[in-house]
Amino acid sequence: MADTRGFGLWMRRASYLALGLLILFFQLLPLDTGTPRWAPPDLLVALTFAWAVRRPDFVPALSVAAMMLLADLLLQRPPGLLAALVVLGAEWLKRRAPELRDDSFLTEWLSVASVIVVVSLGYRVVLNLLAVAQPPLGLHLMQLLMTMAVYPVVVGICYLFFGLQKPAASDLDTRGIGA
Amino acid sequence: MAREKGNGEDFANPLRRLLLGIILFSLLGIFLVWRIDSPRVERFRADVVDSVMPSFDWAMAPVTATVNLFRDFQSYQRIHSQNRELRRELQQMKAWKEAALQLEQENARLRDLNNVRIDPRLTHVTGVVLADSGSPFRQSVLLNVGARDGIMDGWATMDGLGLVGRVSGVGERTSRVILLTDSSSRIPAVIQPSGQRALVAGDNSAAPLLDFIENEAAVRPGDRIVSSGDADVFPPGLLIGQVAEDPQGRLRVRLAADYQRLEFLRVLRNHNARTISGTGALIVPEARPAPEPVAGAERPEARAADPAAEAGGDG
Repeated sequence: MADTRGFGLWMRRASYLALGLLILFFQLLPLDTGTPRWAPPDLLVALTFAWAVRRPDFVPALSVAAMMLLADLLLQRPPGLLAALVVLGAEWLKRRAPELRDDSFLTEWLSVASVIVVVSLGYRVVLNLLAVAQPPLGLHLMQLLMTMAVYPVVVGICYLFFGLQKPAASDLDTRGIGA
Repeated sequence: MAREKGNGEDFANPLRRLLLGIILFSLLGIFLVWRIDSPRVERFRADVVDSVMPSFDWAMAPVTATVNLFRDFQSYQRIHSQNRELRRELQQMKAWKEAALQLEQENARLRDLNNVRIDPRLTHVTGVVLADSGSPFRQSVLLNVGARDGIMDGWATMDGLGLVGRVSGVGERTSRVILLTDSSSRIPAVIQPSGQRALVAGDNSAAPLLDFIENEAAVRPGDRIVSSGDADVFPPGLLIGQVAEDPQGRLRVRLAADYQRLEFLRVLRNHNARTISGTGALIVPEARPAPEPVAGAERPEARAADPAAEAGGDG
Protein backbone atom coordinates (compact mmCIF):
# COMPACT_ATOMS: atom_id res chain seq x y z
CA MET A 1 0.00 0.00 0.00
CA ALA A 2 2.75 2.41 0.84
CA ASP A 3 5.24 3.56 -1.71
CA THR A 4 8.52 2.45 -0.26
CA ARG A 5 10.81 3.92 -2.82
CA GLY A 6 12.20 7.40 -3.27
CA PHE A 7 10.11 10.01 -1.58
CA GLY A 8 7.95 7.53 0.32
CA LEU A 9 10.99 5.85 1.82
CA TRP A 10 12.37 9.15 3.05
CA MET A 11 8.98 10.05 4.47
CA ARG A 12 9.00 6.81 6.47
CA ARG A 13 12.51 7.46 7.68
CA ALA A 14 11.48 10.93 8.75
CA SER A 15 8.40 9.55 10.50
CA TYR A 16 10.63 7.32 12.64
CA LEU A 17 12.56 10.38 13.76
CA ALA A 18 9.34 12.32 14.36
CA LEU A 19 7.89 9.49 16.45
CA GLY A 20 11.08 9.30 18.46
CA LEU A 21 11.00 13.02 19.15
CA LEU A 22 7.36 12.76 20.20
CA ILE A 23 8.22 10.02 22.70
CA LEU A 24 11.10 12.08 24.09
CA PHE A 25 8.84 15.11 24.33
CA PHE A 26 6.28 13.26 26.44
CA GLN A 27 8.97 11.75 28.63
CA LEU A 28 10.36 15.18 29.36
CA LEU A 29 7.05 16.81 30.28
CA PRO A 30 7.31 17.92 33.91
CA LEU A 31 4.07 16.22 34.92
CA ASP A 32 5.26 14.38 37.96
CA THR A 33 8.50 15.62 39.40
CA GLY A 34 8.33 13.34 42.42
CA THR A 35 10.37 10.20 42.64
CA PRO A 36 8.71 7.32 40.80
CA ARG A 37 8.02 3.98 42.46
CA TRP A 38 8.09 2.15 39.17
CA ALA A 39 9.96 2.51 35.95
CA PRO A 40 8.03 3.10 32.74
CA PRO A 41 9.07 1.13 29.63
CA ASP A 42 11.72 2.51 27.36
CA LEU A 43 9.40 3.22 24.45
CA LEU A 44 12.13 4.55 22.22
CA VAL A 45 14.04 1.27 22.32
CA ALA A 46 10.87 -0.74 21.72
CA LEU A 47 9.96 1.49 18.77
CA THR A 48 13.43 1.22 17.26
CA PHE A 49 13.50 -2.56 17.50
CA ALA A 50 9.98 -2.93 16.18
CA TRP A 51 10.83 -0.90 13.09
CA ALA A 52 14.18 -2.67 12.70
CA VAL A 53 12.50 -6.07 12.62
CA ARG A 54 9.57 -5.11 10.46
CA ARG A 55 10.90 -2.54 8.05
CA PRO A 56 14.70 -2.51 8.24
CA ASP A 57 15.01 0.04 5.47
CA PHE A 58 13.01 2.65 7.39
CA VAL A 59 15.53 2.81 10.22
CA PRO A 60 19.05 3.20 8.83
CA ALA A 61 21.79 2.90 11.42
CA LEU A 62 22.51 6.60 11.16
CA SER A 63 19.04 7.71 12.22
CA VAL A 64 18.94 5.16 15.06
CA ALA A 65 22.30 6.46 16.24
CA ALA A 66 21.21 10.09 16.03
CA MET A 67 17.93 9.43 17.82
CA MET A 68 19.47 7.41 20.64
CA LEU A 69 22.34 9.82 21.11
CA LEU A 70 19.89 12.69 21.44
CA ALA A 71 17.93 10.63 23.96
CA ASP A 72 21.13 9.89 25.89
CA LEU A 73 21.94 13.57 26.04
CA LEU A 74 18.45 14.76 26.97
CA LEU A 75 17.72 12.02 29.52
CA GLN A 76 21.00 12.49 31.42
CA ARG A 77 22.37 9.09 30.56
CA PRO A 78 26.04 8.47 29.91
CA PRO A 79 26.16 9.70 26.30
CA GLY A 80 26.88 7.22 23.54
CA LEU A 81 26.92 3.89 25.33
CA LEU A 82 23.26 2.92 25.14
CA ALA A 83 23.13 4.44 21.67
CA ALA A 84 25.95 2.19 20.47
CA LEU A 85 24.34 -0.89 22.03
CA VAL A 86 20.93 -0.14 20.52
CA VAL A 87 22.48 0.44 17.09
CA LEU A 88 24.20 -2.94 17.38
CA GLY A 89 20.98 -4.62 18.52
CA ALA A 90 18.99 -3.03 15.72
CA GLU A 91 21.56 -4.13 13.14
CA TRP A 92 21.41 -7.68 14.44
CA LEU A 93 17.63 -7.65 14.24
CA LYS A 94 17.77 -6.24 10.73
CA ARG A 95 20.01 -9.08 9.66
CA ARG A 96 17.55 -11.55 11.15
CA ALA A 97 14.58 -9.78 9.63
CA PRO A 98 14.35 -11.90 6.44
CA GLU A 99 14.15 -15.07 8.54
CA LEU A 100 11.68 -13.62 10.99
CA ARG A 101 9.46 -12.45 8.17
CA ASP A 102 7.89 -15.87 7.73
CA ASP A 103 7.75 -16.78 11.40
CA SER A 104 4.99 -16.16 13.90
CA PHE A 105 4.75 -13.03 15.99
CA LEU A 106 5.82 -14.99 19.05
CA THR A 107 9.20 -15.73 17.52
CA GLU A 108 9.64 -12.10 16.62
CA TRP A 109 8.71 -11.05 20.14
CA LEU A 110 11.11 -13.54 21.67
CA SER A 111 14.05 -12.46 19.54
CA VAL A 112 13.36 -8.79 20.24
CA ALA A 113 13.06 -9.56 23.95
CA SER A 114 16.38 -11.36 23.93
CA VAL A 115 18.04 -8.42 22.19
CA ILE A 116 16.57 -6.07 24.80
CA VAL A 117 17.96 -8.27 27.58
CA VAL A 118 21.40 -8.41 25.97
CA VAL A 119 21.46 -4.64 25.42
CA SER A 120 20.47 -3.87 29.03
CA LEU A 121 22.91 -6.42 30.39
CA GLY A 122 25.71 -5.04 28.26
CA TYR A 123 24.85 -1.52 29.37
CA ARG A 124 25.09 -2.41 33.05
CA VAL A 125 28.22 -4.51 32.63
CA VAL A 126 30.10 -1.77 30.79
CA LEU A 127 29.01 0.84 33.33
CA ASN A 128 30.14 -1.48 36.11
CA LEU A 129 33.52 -2.06 34.49
CA LEU A 130 34.10 1.66 34.15
CA ALA A 131 32.84 2.33 37.69
CA VAL A 132 30.06 4.70 36.66
CA ALA A 133 27.37 5.29 39.29
CA GLN A 134 24.33 3.25 38.35
CA PRO A 135 20.61 3.34 38.96
CA PRO A 136 19.27 0.68 41.33
CA LEU A 137 19.09 -2.78 39.79
CA GLY A 138 15.44 -3.32 40.72
CA LEU A 139 14.30 -0.24 38.83
CA HIS A 140 16.35 -1.25 35.84
CA LEU A 141 14.94 -4.78 35.81
CA MET A 142 11.46 -3.36 36.01
CA GLN A 143 12.14 -1.16 33.02
CA LEU A 144 13.53 -4.14 31.14
CA LEU A 145 10.40 -6.21 31.77
CA MET A 146 8.10 -3.31 30.96
CA THR A 147 9.91 -2.70 27.68
CA MET A 148 9.50 -6.34 26.71
CA ALA A 149 5.85 -6.29 27.73
CA VAL A 150 5.06 -3.12 25.83
CA TYR A 151 6.60 -4.35 22.58
CA PRO A 152 3.39 -5.92 21.17
CA VAL A 153 1.53 -2.70 21.95
CA VAL A 154 4.11 -0.62 20.12
CA VAL A 155 3.93 -2.97 17.15
CA GLY A 156 0.12 -2.83 17.21
CA ILE A 157 0.05 0.96 17.24
CA CYS A 158 2.64 1.22 14.49
CA TYR A 159 0.69 -1.34 12.48
CA LEU A 160 -2.59 0.54 12.86
CA PHE A 161 -1.40 4.09 12.34
CA PHE A 162 1.74 3.76 10.27
CA GLY A 163 0.98 0.60 8.28
CA LEU A 164 4.07 -1.06 9.69
CA GLN A 165 3.45 -4.56 8.44
CA LYS A 166 6.05 -7.06 7.47
CA PRO A 167 6.75 -6.60 3.78
CA ALA A 168 4.95 -9.06 1.55
CA ALA A 169 6.97 -11.15 -0.86
CA SER A 170 5.98 -8.87 -3.72
CA ASP A 171 7.61 -5.91 -1.99
CA LEU A 172 10.94 -7.58 -1.77
CA ASP A 173 12.50 -6.75 -5.09
CA THR A 174 11.64 -3.09 -4.89
CA ARG A 175 12.85 -2.95 -1.33
CA GLY A 176 16.29 -4.25 -2.08
CA ILE A 177 17.00 -1.42 -4.45
CA GLY A 178 15.58 1.20 -2.22
CA ALA A 179 17.64 0.19 0.76
CA MET B 1 23.31 -17.04 4.92
CA ALA B 2 21.68 -19.23 2.35
CA ARG B 3 18.69 -16.99 2.02
CA GLU B 4 18.91 -14.61 -0.86
CA LYS B 5 18.57 -10.94 -0.24
CA GLY B 6 17.88 -8.24 -2.75
CA ASN B 7 20.81 -7.98 -5.11
CA GLY B 8 21.22 -4.28 -4.28
CA GLU B 9 22.38 -5.17 -0.81
CA ASP B 10 25.43 -6.97 -2.07
CA PHE B 11 26.81 -3.76 -3.47
CA ALA B 12 25.87 -1.76 -0.44
CA ASN B 13 27.09 -4.21 2.16
CA PRO B 14 30.78 -3.26 2.55
CA LEU B 15 29.87 0.39 2.44
CA ARG B 16 27.12 -0.10 4.96
CA ARG B 17 29.39 -2.07 7.22
CA LEU B 18 31.94 0.72 7.06
CA LEU B 19 29.28 3.27 7.95
CA LEU B 20 28.10 1.12 10.85
CA GLY B 21 31.68 0.82 12.05
CA ILE B 22 32.15 4.58 11.93
CA ILE B 23 28.89 5.17 13.79
CA LEU B 24 29.72 2.67 16.53
CA PHE B 25 33.26 3.97 16.81
CA SER B 26 32.14 7.55 17.25
CA LEU B 27 29.38 6.65 19.74
CA LEU B 28 31.73 4.64 21.90
CA GLY B 29 34.30 7.38 21.46
CA ILE B 30 31.85 9.92 22.87
CA PHE B 31 31.17 7.59 25.78
CA LEU B 32 34.85 7.10 26.56
CA VAL B 33 35.61 10.80 26.28
CA TRP B 34 32.71 11.40 28.68
CA ARG B 35 34.18 8.90 31.10
CA ILE B 36 37.64 10.47 30.91
CA ASP B 37 36.79 14.15 30.69
CA SER B 38 33.23 14.40 31.88
CA PRO B 39 33.00 18.21 32.43
CA ARG B 40 33.64 18.98 28.78
CA VAL B 41 31.07 16.50 27.51
CA GLU B 42 28.60 17.66 30.16
CA ARG B 43 29.04 21.19 28.87
CA PHE B 44 28.32 19.87 25.40
CA ARG B 45 25.21 18.18 26.83
CA ALA B 46 24.11 21.44 28.39
CA ASP B 47 24.52 23.14 25.03
CA VAL B 48 22.47 20.48 23.27
CA VAL B 49 19.72 20.71 25.88
CA ASP B 50 19.92 24.46 25.59
CA SER B 51 19.28 24.38 21.87
CA VAL B 52 16.67 21.61 21.87
CA MET B 53 14.50 22.31 24.88
CA PRO B 54 13.43 25.92 24.22
CA SER B 55 12.12 24.78 20.84
CA PHE B 56 9.96 22.22 22.66
CA ASP B 57 8.82 24.85 25.10
CA TRP B 58 5.92 26.31 23.11
CA ALA B 59 4.31 22.88 23.02
CA MET B 60 5.32 21.71 26.46
CA ALA B 61 3.53 24.38 28.44
CA PRO B 62 0.04 23.82 26.94
CA VAL B 63 0.31 20.02 27.00
CA THR B 64 1.42 20.03 30.62
CA ALA B 65 -1.37 22.40 31.52
CA THR B 66 -3.96 20.23 29.76
CA VAL B 67 -2.85 17.05 31.46
CA ASN B 68 -2.85 18.75 34.82
CA LEU B 69 -6.32 20.11 34.09
CA PHE B 70 -7.60 16.58 33.54
CA ARG B 71 -5.93 15.42 36.71
CA ASP B 72 -7.61 18.18 38.64
CA PHE B 73 -10.87 17.20 37.01
CA GLN B 74 -10.56 13.70 38.43
CA SER B 75 -10.15 15.11 41.86
CA TYR B 76 -13.56 16.81 41.60
CA GLN B 77 -15.10 13.52 42.62
CA ARG B 78 -13.73 13.93 46.08
CA ILE B 79 -14.50 17.58 46.24
CA HIS B 80 -17.14 17.46 48.92
CA SER B 81 -15.09 15.68 51.51
CA GLN B 82 -12.13 17.79 50.56
CA ASN B 83 -14.13 20.93 51.08
CA ARG B 84 -15.12 19.97 54.59
CA GLU B 85 -11.57 19.05 55.40
CA LEU B 86 -10.31 22.35 54.08
CA ARG B 87 -12.81 24.26 56.16
CA ARG B 88 -11.66 22.53 59.28
CA GLU B 89 -8.05 23.21 58.41
CA LEU B 90 -8.90 26.83 57.68
CA GLN B 91 -10.21 27.21 61.21
CA GLN B 92 -6.97 25.94 62.62
CA MET B 93 -4.98 28.10 60.25
CA LYS B 94 -6.77 31.22 61.39
CA ALA B 95 -5.54 30.58 64.88
CA TRP B 96 -2.04 30.10 63.56
CA LYS B 97 -2.27 33.20 61.45
CA GLU B 98 -3.13 35.22 64.50
CA ALA B 99 -0.13 33.81 66.31
CA ALA B 100 2.10 34.44 63.32
CA LEU B 101 0.99 38.03 63.00
CA GLN B 102 1.76 38.70 66.62
CA LEU B 103 5.13 37.07 66.28
CA GLU B 104 5.86 39.03 63.11
CA GLN B 105 5.11 42.29 64.83
CA GLU B 106 7.22 41.35 67.78
CA ASN B 107 9.99 40.24 65.47
CA ALA B 108 9.86 43.50 63.56
CA ARG B 109 10.04 45.48 66.80
CA LEU B 110 13.01 43.49 68.06
CA ARG B 111 14.76 43.76 64.71
CA ASP B 112 14.22 47.46 64.74
CA LEU B 113 15.75 47.66 68.21
CA ASN B 114 18.75 45.62 67.10
CA ASN B 115 19.11 47.40 63.78
CA VAL B 116 19.45 44.05 61.98
CA ARG B 117 19.80 43.85 58.23
CA ILE B 118 18.82 40.64 56.45
CA ASP B 119 21.70 39.31 54.39
CA PRO B 120 21.44 41.35 51.20
CA ARG B 121 23.46 38.88 49.16
CA LEU B 122 20.63 36.35 49.22
CA THR B 123 18.58 37.69 46.35
CA HIS B 124 17.01 35.27 43.94
CA VAL B 125 16.10 34.63 40.33
CA THR B 126 12.83 32.83 39.72
CA GLY B 127 12.64 30.24 36.97
CA VAL B 128 9.90 28.05 35.52
CA VAL B 129 10.36 24.29 35.31
CA LEU B 130 10.62 23.41 31.62
CA ALA B 131 11.14 19.69 31.81
CA ASP B 132 12.03 16.95 34.23
CA SER B 133 14.78 14.40 33.74
CA GLY B 134 12.53 12.14 31.67
CA SER B 135 14.04 9.05 33.21
CA PRO B 136 13.14 7.18 36.39
CA PHE B 137 16.82 6.91 37.32
CA ARG B 138 17.63 10.58 37.56
CA GLN B 139 15.97 13.27 39.62
CA SER B 140 16.48 16.65 38.06
CA VAL B 141 14.50 19.45 36.48
CA LEU B 142 15.34 21.93 33.78
CA LEU B 143 14.72 25.65 34.43
CA ASN B 144 14.17 28.31 31.81
CA VAL B 145 16.86 30.58 33.24
CA GLY B 146 20.50 30.19 32.35
CA ALA B 147 23.82 31.92 31.98
CA ARG B 148 22.25 34.97 30.39
CA ASP B 149 20.26 35.47 33.60
CA GLY B 150 23.45 35.21 35.62
CA ILE B 151 22.86 31.69 36.91
CA MET B 152 26.02 29.89 37.98
CA ASP B 153 26.84 26.29 38.80
CA GLY B 154 26.37 25.31 42.42
CA TRP B 155 23.67 27.78 43.42
CA ALA B 156 20.89 26.62 45.72
CA THR B 157 17.34 26.29 44.44
CA MET B 158 14.19 26.52 46.56
CA ASP B 159 10.50 26.41 46.04
CA GLY B 160 8.44 28.73 48.25
CA LEU B 161 9.21 26.75 51.39
CA GLY B 162 12.21 24.51 51.28
CA LEU B 163 15.39 23.59 49.49
CA VAL B 164 14.87 21.73 46.22
CA GLY B 165 18.30 21.17 44.78
CA ARG B 166 21.51 22.48 43.35
CA VAL B 167 22.22 23.97 39.96
CA SER B 168 24.47 21.68 37.98
CA GLY B 169 24.89 22.35 34.32
CA VAL B 170 24.14 25.83 32.97
CA GLY B 171 23.38 26.55 29.36
CA GLU B 172 22.81 29.92 27.79
CA ARG B 173 19.04 29.84 28.28
CA THR B 174 18.46 26.81 30.52
CA SER B 175 19.96 25.33 33.63
CA ARG B 176 19.61 21.93 35.24
CA VAL B 177 18.79 21.50 38.91
CA ILE B 178 19.86 18.22 40.52
CA LEU B 179 17.17 17.52 43.12
CA LEU B 180 17.99 16.46 46.68
CA THR B 181 16.41 13.10 45.89
CA ASP B 182 18.86 12.27 43.10
CA SER B 183 21.24 9.50 44.03
CA SER B 184 24.25 11.73 43.37
CA SER B 185 23.11 14.55 45.67
CA ARG B 186 24.95 15.11 48.98
CA ILE B 187 24.17 18.23 51.01
CA PRO B 188 25.69 19.12 54.41
CA ALA B 189 22.98 19.94 56.93
CA VAL B 190 22.39 20.77 60.57
CA ILE B 191 19.64 19.18 62.61
CA GLN B 192 17.94 21.52 65.01
CA PRO B 193 17.58 21.83 67.94
CA SER B 194 20.37 19.34 68.75
CA GLY B 195 22.87 20.97 66.39
CA GLN B 196 24.03 17.62 65.01
CA ARG B 197 25.68 17.79 61.61
CA ALA B 198 24.72 15.34 58.92
CA LEU B 199 24.75 14.76 55.20
CA VAL B 200 21.47 14.64 53.30
CA ALA B 201 22.15 11.87 50.81
CA GLY B 202 19.67 11.31 47.99
CA ASP B 203 18.96 7.71 47.04
CA ASN B 204 16.36 8.04 44.31
CA SER B 205 13.50 7.76 46.80
CA ALA B 206 11.12 10.47 47.94
CA ALA B 207 12.85 10.80 51.33
CA PRO B 208 16.66 11.16 51.23
CA LEU B 209 18.78 9.43 53.85
CA LEU B 210 20.49 11.24 56.72
CA ASP B 211 24.07 10.10 56.68
CA PHE B 212 27.09 10.64 58.96
CA ILE B 213 25.21 11.75 62.04
CA GLU B 214 27.57 11.94 65.00
CA ASN B 215 25.10 10.99 67.67
CA GLU B 216 21.88 9.46 66.41
CA ALA B 217 20.43 9.35 69.89
CA ALA B 218 20.30 13.13 69.95
CA VAL B 219 18.12 13.24 66.84
CA ARG B 220 14.39 12.68 67.00
CA PRO B 221 11.82 12.32 64.25
CA GLY B 222 10.24 15.72 63.68
CA ASP B 223 13.43 17.73 64.19
CA ARG B 224 14.04 20.47 61.67
CA ILE B 225 16.84 20.08 59.13
CA VAL B 226 18.46 23.16 57.61
CA SER B 227 21.45 23.56 55.34
CA SER B 228 24.66 24.07 57.29
CA GLY B 229 26.82 26.17 55.00
CA ASP B 230 29.71 23.76 55.52
CA ALA B 231 32.19 23.62 52.68
CA ASP B 232 30.51 26.66 51.15
CA VAL B 233 28.07 24.40 49.32
CA PHE B 234 24.98 26.36 50.26
CA PRO B 235 24.26 29.43 52.33
CA PRO B 236 23.46 28.32 55.89
CA GLY B 237 19.98 28.18 57.33
CA LEU B 238 17.88 27.15 54.31
CA LEU B 239 15.04 24.86 55.37
CA ILE B 240 15.39 21.32 54.02
CA GLY B 241 12.76 19.36 55.91
CA GLN B 242 12.04 17.26 58.96
CA VAL B 243 13.61 14.12 60.33
CA ALA B 244 11.58 10.96 59.85
CA GLU B 245 12.33 7.34 60.63
CA ASP B 246 11.70 4.63 58.06
CA PRO B 247 10.52 1.10 58.93
CA GLN B 248 14.12 -0.15 58.91
CA GLY B 249 14.97 2.37 61.61
CA ARG B 250 17.13 4.58 59.41
CA LEU B 251 16.76 8.31 59.63
CA ARG B 252 15.44 10.04 56.55
CA VAL B 253 14.39 13.52 55.56
CA ARG B 254 10.79 14.43 54.90
CA LEU B 255 11.41 17.26 52.47
CA ALA B 256 9.69 20.57 53.03
CA ALA B 257 9.48 21.45 49.34
CA ASP B 258 6.55 20.03 47.38
CA TYR B 259 8.34 17.67 45.04
CA GLN B 260 5.20 16.36 43.39
CA ARG B 261 4.60 19.58 41.58
CA LEU B 262 7.62 21.72 41.02
CA GLU B 263 6.58 24.66 38.91
CA PHE B 264 8.36 27.85 39.91
CA LEU B 265 11.74 27.63 41.57
CA ARG B 266 13.92 30.31 43.13
CA VAL B 267 17.60 30.19 42.41
CA LEU B 268 19.45 31.93 45.24
CA ARG B 269 22.32 34.13 44.12
CA ASN B 270 25.36 33.08 46.07
CA HIS B 271 28.63 34.44 44.82
CA ASN B 272 30.56 32.82 47.64
CA ALA B 273 29.80 29.33 46.42
CA ARG B 274 32.92 27.23 46.11
CA THR B 275 33.75 26.30 42.56
CA ILE B 276 35.86 23.27 41.85
CA SER B 277 38.45 24.28 39.32
CA GLY B 278 40.50 21.14 38.87
CA THR B 279 40.23 17.45 39.64
CA GLY B 280 42.61 17.60 42.62
CA ALA B 281 40.72 20.45 44.24
CA LEU B 282 37.90 18.12 45.18
CA ILE B 283 40.08 16.14 47.60
CA VAL B 284 42.80 18.53 48.76
CA PRO B 285 41.34 21.95 49.50
CA GLU B 286 43.37 24.51 47.64
CA ALA B 287 44.62 27.63 49.40
CA ARG B 288 41.86 30.21 49.59
CA PRO B 289 42.50 32.97 47.09
CA ALA B 290 43.42 35.89 49.37
CA PRO B 291 41.08 36.16 52.37
CA GLU B 292 38.89 39.24 52.46
CA PRO B 293 40.65 42.17 54.12
CA VAL B 294 38.12 42.47 56.95
CA ALA B 295 38.21 38.84 57.99
CA GLY B 296 41.93 38.55 57.32
CA ALA B 297 42.95 39.43 60.84
CA GLU B 298 41.23 36.55 62.53
CA ARG B 299 41.52 33.89 59.84
CA PRO B 300 45.07 32.56 60.43
CA GLU B 301 44.42 31.41 63.98
CA ALA B 302 41.22 29.69 62.97
CA ARG B 303 43.00 27.88 60.20
CA ALA B 304 45.89 26.89 62.41
CA ALA B 305 43.53 25.46 64.98
CA ASP B 306 41.63 23.40 62.44
CA PRO B 307 44.19 20.71 61.49
CA ALA B 308 44.91 20.04 65.14
CA ALA B 309 41.26 19.53 65.87
CA GLU B 310 40.92 17.19 62.91
CA ALA B 311 43.95 15.15 63.87
CA GLY B 312 42.58 14.75 67.37
CA GLY B 313 39.27 13.61 65.97
CA ASP B 314 40.86 10.96 63.80
CA GLY B 315 42.93 9.41 66.58
